[in-house]
Amino acid sequence: MRRPAAALGAGLVLALLATLTSACTQDGGEHITLRVLASPELADVEPLLGELEEDTGVELKLEYTATAELEGQPPAAGRKSAHALAWLASDRSFLLRLQDSAGGLVRPESTSIMRSPVVVGLTPGAARDLRGRAPGGRISWADLADAAADGTVRFGMADPRRSDTGRAALVGVATAAAGTGSALREEDVSCDRLRGFRSGQTLTAPGSRELTDAYAERPEAADALIAHEAELLSLNASGRLREPLEIVHPDDGMVLSDFPLLLLDPGEREAYGKVVDWLQSADTQRELMRRTHRRPVSQDVEPTAELRTSVGNALSFPDRLSIVRRLVDDYGDPVHTTGDQVVFLLDFSTSMRGERIAALRAAFAGLSGADRTSTGKFARFYRGERLTVVRFGGSVLQERTVTVRSDADLKSLDRIVAGGGFDDATALWSALDRGYRIATDAVRAAPERPVAIVLMTDGENNTGLSYAEFLRRHGRLGSAADAVPTFTVQFGEADAGALKRAAAATGGRMVDAGLSSLTDAFKEIRGCH
Amino acid sequence: MSHSARAAIEEPRLSTRQVRRRRAPRHVVVALPIALAGLIALLISGNTLRPFERIITLEARMASKSDFFKDPEVRRLLLGHGIRVDIRRLGSRGIATQSLTGTDVVFPSGQPAAKIILDRQDHSVRSVRPFVTPLVLGTFRDYADTLVKAKVATPQRAPGGGPTLYYDLDMPAFMGLLDGTHAGRGAADQDGDGRTEGADTWNGIGFDSRGRSNSGRVLVRTSNVCESNAAGTYLSLLAFVVNRNTTPGTENVNDPRLAQEAVTDLAARIKPLISLQGMWADEQADSYLSDLGESIAPVSLIYEHQYLSHQIAHHDRTGEQDTDRVLLYPTPYALTEPQLISLTDRGDRLVRLIQEDEELRDRAIELGFRVRFSGEDGTSERLNAYLGDHGIQVPAANPDQTKSYEPGLEVLERIIDYVGTCPPPVQDTP
Repeated sequence: MRRPAAALGAGLVLALLATLTSACTQDGGEHITLRVLASPELADVEPLLGELEEDTGVELKLEYTATAELEGQPPAAGRKSAHALAWLASDRSFLLRLQDSAGGLVRPESTSIMRSPVVVGLTPGAARDLRGRAPGGRISWADLADAAADGTVRFGMADPRRSDTGRAALVGVATAAAGTGSALREEDVSCDRLRGFRSGQTLTAPGSRELTDAYAERPEAADALIAHEAELLSLNASGRLREPLEIVHPDDGMVLSDFPLLLLDPGEREAYGKVVDWLQSADTQRELMRRTHRRPVSQDVEPTAELRTSVGNALSFPDRLSIVRRLVDDYGDPVHTTGDQVVFLLDFSTSMRGERIAALRAAFAGLSGADRTSTGKFARFYRGERLTVVRFGGSVLQERTVTVRSDADLKSLDRIVAGGGFDDATALWSALDRGYRIATDAVRAAPERPVAIVLMTDGENNTGLSYAEFLRRHGRLGSAADAVPTFTVQFGEADAGALKRAAAATGGRMVDAGLSSLTDAFKEIRGCH
Repeated sequence: MSHSARAAIEEPRLSTRQVRRRRAPRHVVVALPIALAGLIALLISGNTLRPFERIITLEARMASKSDFFKDPEVRRLLLGHGIRVDIRRLGSRGIATQSLTGTDVVFPSGQPAAKIILDRQDHSVRSVRPFVTPLVLGTFRDYADTLVKAKVATPQRAPGGGPTLYYDLDMPAFMGLLDGTHAGRGAADQDGDGRTEGADTWNGIGFDSRGRSNSGRVLVRTSNVCESNAAGTYLSLLAFVVNRNTTPGTENVNDPRLAQEAVTDLAARIKPLISLQGMWADEQADSYLSDLGESIAPVSLIYEHQYLSHQIAHHDRTGEQDTDRVLLYPTPYALTEPQLISLTDRGDRLVRLIQEDEELRDRAIELGFRVRFSGEDGTSERLNAYLGDHGIQVPAANPDQTKSYEPGLEVLERIIDYVGTCPPPVQDTP
């Protein structure tokens, strides 16, 4: 029974001390300093913090070291966070990580402070060009990917591995590429649909601030910047650009950041409440909008003219962190991008004559840029990609490899597919064997370049190597061949069982063109290796 | 449950009942001169004896019903009764599944979370259910009109023939749009314009014929099913409809295995209706009512009171209704019943006040709640009268009065867990 008495006494002392201090200061609060783990994007709010301190007695010390997933937070049970608050561009990745902890980590309180969409800023020339090719003049991420793949637009974007803005941009572009109209699922990211898009990236930086700085110094390095609307507006307003970037809210949607303030140390709830109230007050919201060009969350603040434009439709964020991480991993290092190589083995037996060959030509023309659907613009052949076309019948009829540099290169491939005669027999496994020789040579010559084989046939093997003999030879090719999956495309009377086996044996898979079309079948396996 | 020392000071009643006081301990003796100094300071500064007026601060946890306690008028009224409420805002199911140590009152937004909390108490506690509010879908006029064209929504008639604020939503038909397929096919040319659309996108059901465009799927944005009462109630509603307007878990009561399989099967069927939206988003009403609301989500899951309160404030400010934002009333409908639960003696004071104080109840109406008054059958008359007096269209009672009943707690929890893969609840260590 001593404890309650002691507590009673200590409490009395504290309570009376509190009344004493409250009698001395105007607002009833004492001065307090809080460490804040902040996203680098928020450095532009720093000038307002002095006023916050004057008005509330709470001093925020922002440390710009927060990562997208807020590693290390919240601390394990029973330990106190070194930071009382976190202020992020977005807490989505963090919340998804907490979700994966299966209740092991309790989620902190979080309040949105401002909003800004991740969009694209275009030079007037690039904007004109893109608008010209976009249906109805409404530019989409797909149009940007299309222009990146054919080399007409070069863009800059922060590194998604380090910057939350880069990550949000990546999720936005990938969601548009999947084209499902809903959030990305595991199956939507099992193949990397962004290789064509990425081939147009010429500028990167660890964060969006460094990105806009780099661009301001070397505007000739890119025609487009992907960043928060606020960052692009700030860059335009800085007067550092000869001509301002035109800000485009892509027609197929954007990821919206809401710049939440999180309470990491529950013991500081009172101060947190004061800071949130101050930040959400109409005056502060107006000032934040003016200084940072972010959109206010307060309904009482009239947006400035530049922020009255519609932001377009918000894209849903994936509900699993693994999906986001897969995207980031596949995108890799923006500085070292390598186009991949695809070896197309195309069956030119006589049964392909007529409608089937027409479908094959259409599929190739589609991948060369003629497919104007949104998914087509993402799936198309791109600058820097190496393409090998092998026409076969009873033996190899023609073989050609190009590295795509221009439309002329693509046209020369299309001519091979369009012209050329047919052969009576189908030497399926001999053709695949030939494909693996080309592929392994390529792997040895450039180990960093991913290589895959696409085998399209409409019939069964009736000459040349047996499947067993192919497998024996494949086994002797060693590790270089192991890295090369084969995707088989079943068309017409092809032997689905055999094609499935060959795909499974090499780490690829089979697609059935009979279910959709040859065009869709080719699109489905783009980036799947 | 141990009370803090602060509580003991502010509530002398406590210290007399709990035999704690023996003789003044040394701390108190030491503190006395300071106490006197403080008293003198207060007298001089004019804040005479304020700390002794017994204003108590209650630690509260609540979700959307914090709208009531954060209202300046409600705060003023409560202060008049010597009560200040400090709110930690989090989802209702989140409140129910986390530790409640140090909390005086909780105000979950619906009965499932309230039941979990009540079940966790080892003694009977005071509580009150002051009002009800239906679960609704907040949307925007062009989207609502697209749903009318798709024959899943019907506008309520607005008096005077102006633009209506309310639409009745045929939930089974609407769910046909949400399921990600069209008549079992993944893709179709749904609006007959010669192009194949992904299943049931907004453009696919004709949104783009109004010169606008949204290639996104028809989806309802919800908060986290593991944490929020609204999302849990929405799951109940979906399950009720999929189960052909029967409360899940009420069949096969004599065969637990069969009953369990039926519930799992049901949960599997409604899961895509939630998971297609991707990551959940907190504070649906905040984003719906914000400037960017229409961009953030075409359809958001909210409570009726949040919408009405916005309309009342909008009308007060501008003299007219916000006719861009409109409500979809689902049929069958789901009613939510928030419950203010006291966990401490201090909390009991608040519960008693909410039970008895007419001014606080009147204020609840002005905030859009359907309030229970003793001696009245329904909960809607006074709210409807208030809306009418304040220039807001009165929502019509749906002609089809099918009510979706929440399944038993165990069944609902299984559905929620299945759909959301939720973390296990935290148990208070006694």
